[in-house]
Amino acid sequence: MRCPIETQETAELLLAYSARKLDADTAAGLEQHLRLCPACREFAEGQRLVWEALDAWESVPVSPDFDRRLYARIDREVSWWQRVARPFRPMLLRSGLPVAAAACLLVMVGIALERPGSMPDIPVPQPPGVEAVQPDQVENALEDIELLGEFHRKVGADMSRARM
Amino acid sequence: MIERVKTDMGGAAAALDYDAELMLRVKDGDSASFGVLLDKHRASVVHFLYRMVQNHAVAEELAQEVFLRVYRSRESYEPTARFTTWLFRIATHLALNSLRDGKNERRQERLDDGPADAPAREVSDRRPSVEQNLLYQARLEEIRTAIAMLPEKQRAAVLMHKYDEMEYSQIARVLSCSESAVKSLLFRAYETLRARLAHMA
Repeated sequence: MRCPIETQETAELLLAYSARKLDADTAAGLEQHLRLCPACREFAEGQRLVWEALDAWESVPVSPDFDRRLYARIDREVSWWQRVARPFRPMLLRSGLPVAAAACLLVMVGIALERPGSMPDIPVPQPPGVEAVQPDQVENALEDIELLGEFHRKVGADMSRARM
Repeated sequence: MIERVKTDMGGAAAALDYDAELMLRVKDGDSASFGVLLDKHRASVVHFLYRMVQNHAVAEELAQEVFLRVYRSRESYEPTARFTTWLFRIATHLALNSLRDGKNERRQERLDDGPADAPAREVSDRRPSVEQNLLYQARLEEIRTAIAMLPEKQRAAVLMHKYDEMEYSQIARVLSCSESAVKSLLFRAYETLRARLAHMA
């Protein structure tokens, strides 16, 4: 057997040996090596001491009310919604789908009524041939009519002077 | 159900994971199976956490949180690893966070101090003398201090290896590192412990 101390890859053999996790054949082979190798013997002895020391460290028992406290916390985890819905649960189970559909419809109607401004504008149909005009176009047209009127007045005045 | 666990996890070891099967039952709404899991793993989780944080009250609080998280996760549970790997991953995560937050700082109990409401330990008829008891307590204090002085990951690895008899591969999955990293962690940790506890021979 190659020395576990020298070959890092097999150093875990000594840990496994101390933990009594080796099969009988491997353990026998290692023990034979330990008789010949002082370094490995020292390692194994040190590890055995550590193992025994750790064995002595017992944990304290679990509190008797551990489960009760845990289940109380789990119970508190139940959401507010489940608490609210609990009395209605049988009814929901019997007629869950229609009730859910009615609830959805009510919510949608409520939203629509609550926000009338959000309704889309319905376009007003315009008669064919009528084009939409801009304000400046109207203004220009009025100015043109005014100029034309003034022109007619001046022309009329000139004509009457000529007749005289 | 067993087929489901086999398919999801693969491998013979996974097929034997009855805990995963129980957890799948919890997922399906069988709360009694949660009770079975709690009975089976309560002590190992509390003891692991106690040795990690070295404070019984904090350890129990953290253990409660572990099982609460297991219960909360029941609906999304998928048996992608052994149940105990998942359980100890949660426990280790909480313990490391607690140590980093220093929640249990200056609150360490003496090894002989159990919780106020903990059941009394059984005392054999052949009671040790006061001197023997003091010696025993002093040795335990040294062991506890030696463990507490290990870096957090080394400490977790040693505790899982020694007290929960986990394989390297499982410790690796709990600590989210490679198997060779776990071997290295353990090798260094035991080396430190051998040096610190050598005088106890």
